[in-house]
This record gives sequence, structure tokens and C-alpha cells, in this order.
Amino acid sequence: MKALQLVKYGKIKDSLVFNEVSKPTIQATDVLIEVKAAAINPIDKSIILGNLQNMLPIPFPSTSAYDVSGIIVEKGAEVSNFEIGDLVYSRVPQEQMGTIAEYVAVTNMAVSKKPGNISFEEAASIPLAGLTALQSLEHVGIKKNDKVLIHAGSGGVGSIAIQYAKAKGAYVYTTTSTNNVKWVAALGADRVIDYKTEDYKAIVKDADIVFDTLGKNYSLEAFQVIKQGGKVVSVVGPLDEDSAKMFGMADYKLPEELAKLISGKEASYKFIFMHPNGVHLGELKSLIEDEKIKPIIDKVYPFSESIEAFTHLASGRAKGKIVIKIN
Amino acid sequence: MKELIKKIKNRIQLSLEAEEYLFSISKEKTFAKGAVLIRQGQDVNKIYFVTDGCLRSYCIDKNGKEHTLQFAIKNWWISDYIAIHNNESASLTVECLKESKVLEFNAKKIDGILTLFPEYEPFQRHLLERHVVSLHKRILNQLQLTASERYDLFLEQYPDIEQYTRNYHIASYLGITQESLSRIRVEKTKN
Repeated sequence: MKALQLVKYGKIKDSLVFNEVSKPTIQATDVLIEVKAAAINPIDKSIILGNLQNMLPIPFPSTSAYDVSGIIVEKGAEVSNFEIGDLVYSRVPQEQMGTIAEYVAVTNMAVSKKPGNISFEEAASIPLAGLTALQSLEHVGIKKNDKVLIHAGSGGVGSIAIQYAKAKGAYVYTTTSTNNVKWVAALGADRVIDYKTEDYKAIVKDADIVFDTLGKNYSLEAFQVIKQGGKVVSVVGPLDEDSAKMFGMADYKLPEELAKLISGKEASYKFIFMHPNGVHLGELKSLIEDEKIKPIIDKVYPFSESIEAFTHLASGRAKGKIVIKIN
Repeated sequence: MKELIKKIKNRIQLSLEAEEYLFSISKEKTFAKGAVLIRQGQDVNKIYFVTDGCLRSYCIDKNGKEHTLQFAIKNWWISDYIAIHNNESASLTVECLKESKVLEFNAKKIDGILTLFPEYEPFQRHLLERHVVSLHKRILNQLQLTASERYDLFLEQYPDIEQYTRNYHIASYLGITQESLSRIRVEKTKN
């Protein structure tokens, strides 16, 4: 079968190659998905550039990407929750990475039936960003009337997080640039802050939750805008001590400045590393079927132009997800 | 099964042998919510008569979106007649929207009844006629009524169905977007 593979770390055009590879074989708990659409995320670009080689070393050659939608064409002997012919979507686990291909084998635990009211391309755009948003906001126990600041509302994660938070009844502040204000407001955010003309720190006060999707100074500034006892959840900021242990860094200590800010506000801080989860995708499926969450797609590329899709991703100009139509 | 036999006997004279044959080719089955009875792309040889619950038949287009053809509640028949009569693999999926009780018939055997017991033929014809009438009405409604009027008729036909259907099931049955359906509902609550 045809697959887009990463053959070395480096520039996108030098590192990605179309290869003819053998069709994946399935284990007893796997399903084999005939891929209809795949989607790419910032992490895919970071992998190619070699930025994550210490944390997520990739053997070469490896097929790219994690997000997929398609049809189950084979299933392992122990799979009872899916049937051949089911239309599904998934964020495949690290060890099964490789959705820009005609087929991908995935553990059934990471798979859910796809929402019935959206296309394969739209469905492929959801898993990684949707799971990140859901798992982050659920970790901090988002609930009705919470005041939540979600950074980068026009991003893949931010755009779903806004809709998820609204579905839970929260009051949502979000930041974005002037050009994106209108469509980000249409996602349901209560107060869209144009960071080019407004200072979000002067607008957001006593937030219950800050969802940090930007990192760096934003992770620290979050403690200026949360209430006493508030919660900061980050997908890009410093690791917290529990997460560090999970990565085998037993001696890790929180950066001192961050630790001080946390105790000053009697706040909590958690770093979330998204994990594949079919049950969570099932929850997103229901929200999508009820139109509480709508996929936001920037562009759909044909399989043959997958490398151009990565170049577009790297430009950072996409408004919504970049999807590759495989079949 | 007894209720179905009663319905048949209201229309035609059914011999004891024919009644026994009908019993012999049917199975009473209960399916859980979400169960798939017919799956698009696979073989079909079953026809279902609903005794309780609610089922939905839909086709999935090449982009992966679902389009609802029919809802079947108590006393309705449901299957993929295109597949059965054209001898093709299923072009529809039939699933249970809530726990449902059905009588399952083998399609060939139910056809066989016409050869074995010709007196059954008027009942079969009655079913077909009713089916054609309902299809024609559905097409005409689609052509001439507004979305809001179609929604009213839908609720008349299936009074309690909104408890166990999702919005997109109904929107795709009516051929409108979910947003339009929400708008229609909001307008109705105002009136």
C-alpha cells in the first residue's frame, strides 16, 4: 500500500517520502481501518523537524500522523465492540502512528464510531485536538458557570475547547488576533479578546480555569487572572511533578517561579499529555451529532499533495484543521 | 406474532397451515439500543416487523454522512428492499434507536408463502400498496411542503419519536440541516 513516510529528521521536503509498504497486520485487540481521511497537527511537524526526538524517538522509516477516519475492514479475535463495515475515527497511539496511508492498524481501545452527521474529512479533523480539549477541561472538572480563559481560540485545540466549554455551560474568554475575532466569536465564546488591540490580563479577572495552549510567559501569567484556588491546565507549559514522573524524570521539580505563583494563589497546575481514548471520542461523537461541537477545517488536500499539506501546517497560517483525503 | 396474525386475518382468510408456516419462518427477537440489523455493504436476507421500539434505516454517502430513509415504530416493516429485490448487497443500514422487539422473517421464505399459500397474496399486495402510498406521500411532501410543514407531519406520524432520536436523524430524514431544524423548533415554541 501507499504511505507517506518520515525517512529522517529535517526539513519537510527532505524528510517526507511516498513509499510502497506492506499492509499492516493486526493483533487480537486491533482493528484494521481502511483510511478515508487523515489530519495533521502541530506535533507531526515537530516530529519531522526532530524537535521531539528525545521524548518520542521515531524509527525510520515511519508513516506519519495520528488522526484518522475510515472503515473497519478487519478485526482481531478479541474485538467485540466493533464490526467490519463500521465507520470510525481515532487518534492512534504512538506505537501505531501512521495514518497517512491506505490502511492503519489500531487498538480498539483508541477507536470510536465516527459521528454520523459529518464527513470522513471532518471526522478526521477531530480526534487529537478534541481529546486534548476534553481531557484538559475534564481534568479541572469544568462545570456550569465556570469562568474559563482559553488561549488561542482559533487554534485546533482552542476552537474545540471553546465549543466544549460552552457545551458544559461555562463562560468563555478567548484570545485571538484581529482577523479571527469574528469566526471565533461564532464558535460561541462569550468574550473574544483581540490580543493585538487588547490586554487580556486587564479583561479577565478571577477566572476559575485557564486553559494554556501557548506556554512560555502565558503559563505564568495565568496566575494573574485566576481566582484564589483557581486551576491552570496546560498542554505546552512546564511539566508538573506527576507528569514528569510518568516520563521517568523522578527528580524533576517544578520551576521555582511557577511553584511560587501556584502557592500564592493556592491554585492547582496540571500539564496534560493527551492520551488516545475511544470512550472520550464517543463523548465527542455525541456532542458533534448534537452540533454542540462543529469541526473547523482550513483545507483538504488530496493524498498526492500530503507534503504540501505539511508545508501549509508549518506556515502557521491555517485557520482550522488541515486534512488529507486518502481515498 | 399473534398480533401480526390478527392483522393478517383482518384482511384475508388465513388457513391454519399458512398460519403455521408463518410461525415457522419467523423468530421473535429483542435487540438492544444501537444494535445493527442490516449493515450497508453486506448481504441481506431478513425482513423485520416491529412489535415494539424504534428502528432507523439510513444510507451512508461516499463522504461518510448518514441520510435517514425511514423510521419504523410498532407495526411497521423495515428492511433493505433494494438489496433484497435486486439481489445486491445492502445499500442501507438498519439500526435500533432504542431497545426493540421484532419478528424476523427470512425474505426468501416470506416470498415462498405466495407459492405455497396463494390466499396470502392479497395481504402482500395490501402491504405493497400501503408502502407505495407512503413513499409517494413522502416524495410529494418533500417537493411541495416547507420544512416546517414537513416537520409537523413528521411529528404527527411519529408522536414520541424525539425522545430517542438525535436531531441529525430527523434533520437528515426531512432533508434539512440541523441548524434549520433547531430554528423551526424555536419558532414553534414561540407560537
